[in-house]
Amino acid sequence: MAELTYRDAVAAGIAQEMERDQRVVFLGEDVAAAGGVFKTTVGLLERFGPGRVRDTPISEQAIIGAAMGAAMTGLRPIAEIMFSDFLAVCWDMIANEIAKARYMSAGQMTLPLVIRTANGSGARFGAQHSQSVENWAMSVPGLKVVAPSTPADVKGLLAAAVRDPDPVVFFEHKGLYATKGQVPDGEHVDRLGTAKVLRDGGDVTVVALAAMVPRALEAAERLQREHGISATVVDVRSLVPLDTRTILAETVKTGRLYTVEENPRLCGWGAEIASIAAEECFYDLDGPIVRITTPHVPLPAADALEDGAVPSVARIVETIRRTAG
Amino acid sequence: MDVVMPQLGETVKEGTVTAWHKKVGERVEANEPLFEVNTDKVETEVPAPVSGVVAAILVAEGSTVQVGATLAVIEEEGKPRAAPASDAPLSPVVRRLLAEHGLDASAITGTGSGGRITRDDVLAHLERRKSAAPAQAPGGGDTRVALSKIRKRTAEQMALSWRTIPHVLQAVEVDFHAVDQARLPHALTYLPFVAFAVCRALPEFPALNASLDGDVLVLHRRINLGIAVDLGGEGLIVPVVKDAGEKSLTDLARAIHSVSEKARSGRLAPDDVTEATYTVSNSGSFGTLLTAPIINPPQVAILSTDGVMQKPVARGETVAIHPVGVLAQSFDHRALDGASSAAYLRKLKQILEERDWAADLRGF
Repeated sequence: MAELTYRDAVAAGIAQEMERDQRVVFLGEDVAAAGGVFKTTVGLLERFGPGRVRDTPISEQAIIGAAMGAAMTGLRPIAEIMFSDFLAVCWDMIANEIAKARYMSAGQMTLPLVIRTANGSGARFGAQHSQSVENWAMSVPGLKVVAPSTPADVKGLLAAAVRDPDPVVFFEHKGLYATKGQVPDGEHVDRLGTAKVLRDGGDVTVVALAAMVPRALEAAERLQREHGISATVVDVRSLVPLDTRTILAETVKTGRLYTVEENPRLCGWGAEIASIAAEECFYDLDGPIVRITTPHVPLPAADALEDGAVPSVARIVETIRRTAG
Repeated sequence: MDVVMPQLGETVKEGTVTAWHKKVGERVEANEPLFEVNTDKVETEVPAPVSGVVAAILVAEGSTVQVGATLAVIEEEGKPRAAPASDAPLSPVVRRLLAEHGLDASAITGTGSGGRITRDDVLAHLERRKSAAPAQAPGGGDTRVALSKIRKRTAEQMALSWRTIPHVLQAVEVDFHAVDQARLPHALTYLPFVAFAVCRALPEFPALNASLDGDVLVLHRRINLGIAVDLGGEGLIVPVVKDAGEKSLTDLARAIHSVSEKARSGRLAPDDVTEATYTVSNSGSFGTLLTAPIINPPQVAILSTDGVMQKPVARGETVAIHPVGVLAQSFDHRALDGASSAAYLRKLKQILEERDWAADLRGF
């Protein structure tokens, strides 16, 4: 085990896979010489050379187009979109081409590529650079969607994404880059489509994703300490495939389900989970399913307003305390 | 805390409070005898579940109430009485648990917001009830369902039959092609045809339309046909079509339909279920291949009709696809032997396969 930041775990994951497989290449804006605007890819250029680690022009379409072509012709590219908000700029290629190529070519073409992107709020970057857009990707058939919350998961799930034969959108969270955690030494590969139970409790089940996971865990500690409510916390980790088995099993144990979502409320990922739970374990529910989300608004840039919009520890505690009885 | 009628045995659904050992306002210690309960099997002294003051006695001596019903309330020290279960809605899991355990929501104290009954309240209630009934066998997650009256009666009768009657099973395969030709235009089931064939065949085999009375076999003149009807989980009942042997095919079809409907809607009169001389049990609609039915004594035989499926059958040198099904009869070997049972089945098969059914249905 070694303690790494979430940021360093990104570079460690990419390096592990580039070391293992010559076909893995990496491209994006300012990812090579500058080491990434969030310093997530420092040292890769020096280690693997300009042939495999490439800076691109400021054109998301060029990045995704190049990655798509490389994947179609035998490479296993990792493409970085600096801010997840900019996925919209190249959405036709992602939603219509990359996600559909295997299906429309009857399996003659596969696109083993990973689109890494920095998602989420916390840096006061405003409405066009702070969004949580994991639910956009989740709504497109043909894409796998991953959003880790810890350095170990960053490395392990990134490795799993690179090795997956199909396109994976990999959402890193800007607000988590500086966080630290233990990462297994040596080769570390996780499994896509698996949620993790991080805390066992008897009263309520809280499912969360990415930056909402540490907040849910902190809220659970406070609920226990201050209100005697014991919460299970599940890190969803992967939206597609979705580990419904774990989520439903943990829901059935407590009879109460809460989602904590940073994406805006309408059609957020928790709505899908709530709908699955309502269909499949209705008769084990002991109260309404409650979603704790960012409201359906463009995210404000002002500190106080951004903090007010995104679910906070205090809001999670208060919502659960008020509704858990 | 609410004191409820404990489950004092597997099949006990209710109990009679015969004596209270405490009065309202009196103090009671946990495990001190609080009241006595009489069920048809046992007289039991029930201890208080907690220490406190008897705040209310809700059931008078001599009253019979359902298991789980609240009998009294004990006010525990330092603990104000929880708000009574309000009109707050019951959650899906609470509704399910109440239904599974046959509980009444009013017997449970809700501790959720606004007096809402939560899952934990129901589970705690069940836990208390279990500890109040030491006779109950442990079984994590098992549900104990008291047998209904009809189930108990069936159990006794079937066990008696199985213990005392040497059953022999014989079966024939019947080609229902001729029956299908006739029945399909009229949307009739196979059952009236089989019943009709039984009524035509039985007179030649009087030992089958009979009752065993000690050392005497009583041969019946009338054919009263019992038709086993499934009541969808509530049990099995066998209404009787009296003098079925006198009826035409169409009258028999109507009579079977009528008694079955009466059975399913619970409108059978006592007379409708007596005097059967022979029984037909019909599992065919479930597609069974073969059923070995149990004889309903004092009758000496019972016929099972099983699923009719399309199958290839040899017709001379060629193969045709015909509806084929098995008729199986259990008979009492004390009353008759295999040869006559077999001959009877052959006769049944012959009637079903060769009769001019269209003539029976003319004008129907």
